[in-house]
Amino acid sequence: MTDAVVTMEFHPQPAAGTATPWAFPAPERGTLANGLTVLRCHRPGQQVVAVEIFLAAPLDAEPEGLDGVATIMARALTEGTDKHSAEEFAAELERCGATIDAHADHPGVRVSLEVPVSRLPKALSLLAEALRAPAFADSEVERLVRNRLDEIPHEQANPSRRAAKQLSKELFPASARMSRPRQGTEETVAAIDAAAVRAFYEAYVRPATTVTVVVGDLSGTDLDAILADTLGDWTGNTAEPRPMPPITADDTGRVVIVDRPGAVQTQLLIGRIGADRHDRVWPAQVLGTYCLGGTLTSRLDRVLREEKGYTYGVRAFGQVLRSGPDGGAAMLAISGSVDTPHTGPALDDLWKVLRTLAAEGLTDAERETAVQNLVGVAPLKYETAAAVAGTLADQVEQHLPDDYQAQLYAQLAETGTVEATAAVVNAFPADRLVTVLVGDAAQIEEPVRALGIGEVTVVPS
Amino acid sequence: MPMGHTATAQAGSGGLTATEHRLANGLRVVLSEDHLTPVAAVCLWYDVGSRHEVKGRTGLAHLFEHLMFQGSHQVHGNGHFELVQGAGGSLNGTTSFERTNYFETMPAHQVELALWLEADRMGSLLAALDEQSMENQRDVVKNERRQRYDNVPYGTAFEKLTALAYPEGHPYHHTPIGSMADLDAATLEDARNFFRTYYAPNNAVIAVVGDIDPEQTLAWIEKYFGSIPTHDGKQPPRDGALPDTMGGQLREVVEEDVPARALMAAYRLPHDGTRESDAADLALTVLGGGESSRLHNRLVRRDQTAVAAGFGLLRLAGAPSLGWLDVKTSAGVEVPDIEAAVDEELARFAEEGPTEEEMERAQAQLEREWLDRLGTVAGRADELCRYAVLFGDPQLALTAVDRVLDITAEEVKAVAAATLRPDNRAVLVYEPTGAPEAGNEEEEAGQ
Repeated sequence: MTDAVVTMEFHPQPAAGTATPWAFPAPERGTLANGLTVLRCHRPGQQVVAVEIFLAAPLDAEPEGLDGVATIMARALTEGTDKHSAEEFAAELERCGATIDAHADHPGVRVSLEVPVSRLPKALSLLAEALRAPAFADSEVERLVRNRLDEIPHEQANPSRRAAKQLSKELFPASARMSRPRQGTEETVAAIDAAAVRAFYEAYVRPATTVTVVVGDLSGTDLDAILADTLGDWTGNTAEPRPMPPITADDTGRVVIVDRPGAVQTQLLIGRIGADRHDRVWPAQVLGTYCLGGTLTSRLDRVLREEKGYTYGVRAFGQVLRSGPDGGAAMLAISGSVDTPHTGPALDDLWKVLRTLAAEGLTDAERETAVQNLVGVAPLKYETAAAVAGTLADQVEQHLPDDYQAQLYAQLAETGTVEATAAVVNAFPADRLVTVLVGDAAQIEEPVRALGIGEVTVVPS
Repeated sequence: MPMGHTATAQAGSGGLTATEHRLANGLRVVLSEDHLTPVAAVCLWYDVGSRHEVKGRTGLAHLFEHLMFQGSHQVHGNGHFELVQGAGGSLNGTTSFERTNYFETMPAHQVELALWLEADRMGSLLAALDEQSMENQRDVVKNERRQRYDNVPYGTAFEKLTALAYPEGHPYHHTPIGSMADLDAATLEDARNFFRTYYAPNNAVIAVVGDIDPEQTLAWIEKYFGSIPTHDGKQPPRDGALPDTMGGQLREVVEEDVPARALMAAYRLPHDGTRESDAADLALTVLGGGESSRLHNRLVRRDQTAVAAGFGLLRLAGAPSLGWLDVKTSAGVEVPDIEAAVDEELARFAEEGPTEEEMERAQAQLEREWLDRLGTVAGRADELCRYAVLFGDPQLALTAVDRVLDITAEEVKAVAAATLRPDNRAVLVYEPTGAPEAGNEEEEAGQ
């Protein structure tokens, strides 16, 4: 076509070299005298150590009318202790070059610390102080409550956050904690005070039900001594594990439009609940979901993005909400945004992709590429200490064995095309999906109604 | 071809080293070995970004970056993505003011594939580029613009600030995403010319970092890239030189349907690559980085007038850098109250400079950020390319943290006094309307 084509020398596509074996790292598990469980994992070269703490303080334990107390407690842990004021604590932590993030989700509270290994002792001592002796001063809790109230309008204005909130409300019964925002509503957050935060802490935070994961280059570090001096000092009683409530959801196919007059795009979130990691189908579901919408060469984007240009990208995913040996569920969803005028055609194509998948199944080539990617990217994905620590803590939180991730890779490699097809078709049945659209109802309602993908209702933004 | 010199391990670089080479066609090569994990990153920086775009064609560099994934002579359709992902790799490309980068992180035994793919599109993209991919990716990029900027609250704030901070006609006046009108106007011939002008081996740096055999890797690079011809059609970007300070305050009030009032500002700061820019980074960290910063303590903790307050630094080499203040107000708080408090804190800081403890904290934070950046093969490859393209010396990436740690409190105070002043900033104030349609007249910024 042009002169630029013919002037270079072309070579055939090269073959792969010999792969170096890689396995997801196996942590070493132990228990401190106070009952606190420790998982450690040495990762050579990772100078920034990641510490993940899991506290068995689930959202369903929040008292009636106090949704958000777990979030405020998580934030308040680092806002002053018996030894440091809130400002001093933040200053001391940052002096270590460290960051701490804490957030509450359905299974419990997670506290994540990252710090250069040379300053691990000091940072762990601060973290232990936050867990062992948080001040929960009235003034700090009041400030965190006001700050949280100020955040809510920003979340409401964000199309993807707004869609997620609506989908939870649609799927779960109103009595279930999962139907309501994780971080509470204006009404419930406003009711939270320091006494409520302390009561929640005293009921659900103790070393015996806490798990700490430490990952990084620990070669020159006496971790046992550091732990003994820090988290080892924390005392507390034991507690029976709180039973997990069953998770049910109404996935009757329907559409809810959250009205945003003038929006230039429609945010889509299409979902239901399904199998979690305790279910044998999980590896096949991961594989099939990747083929449906894991990347821009998956089925959804092949049409919606690379053929039609309706979107910057649409993804399908499964995200565990809460999981244990006796129950649990994952949110299975498709999300993305499409330009307003093409909302109807994009949804039409999306449903065609689902129906074609159900009718014809995946191809062996698709399955092969997906396995190569999902298994092959593992050493890249787990290059950093933080990534390894995050997955180990997820396993703990979901009551999975410490070698779960390592086994998952073996299972993915053994999962066939037929199993992957069955799993993804079961996960995303075309007539059992709840569709939330955040967009301009005046422009999208009629075209969406015409698709026949379920009853359509419009709610205000 | 002989191997280049090997740098000695520098203090603070964690024992990392890199070697440099140059092919006969001008392609610069940087290699860095690290056998801890069986992965390797391939990263290519082309010395072209939105600053090279001309009036009426904003967004072209970024749109073109998308076209680089649409196939070349030996790679069909989405083959680039399919082959890399099918090999267990991850990949992407990004466009900024000063460069366009493309990267693949691969299992170590698949590095040769990434090199073959990058060479194929560097040498033969135009064999595959057609009207259909152009039209498709134009729509995709317009949806990217809607998703990331136009359909989110405050989404166009950065674009507006940039347009204020760099005057009309300046190469950094517009941001890489470009305007809808210009994206609509771009033609296939524009894209072809863009490729012919900028996508030359002598306008690129490739870095390969990780579990590699450097001699073998260099031989592959020679094999796949060596025959791509040099071409010299590139014009230098328009001059980005500006006075050191703005010499007055610029201001724009935006009335839009946003959830809260906001005060944002762009301060003109020293060019990247200077001691003064590292000093500015430390100043912004003390003032507005993290939860122990002066602005966070003042506005979020003590006055409780803001939901969030912080500073970011956009480091630029070809024009003054930009310090970005972002404060979202608490319910009922007026912007002048916030502005007065910010000005008071900045003036006090310029007067006193940082305390010893603040310096220690800021340096510790920036050190950790550098360790994070250099802790992955992809991050390291990107930094090696950055210093090679923008400053002519990739080795500078490995000593960057030492330079930050070498800055004194006096230097931080000096740069704050010189730059963090009301007469050296462009201010953007958001006033919520609560109505959906207002503020459209403001969308002209950035063209």
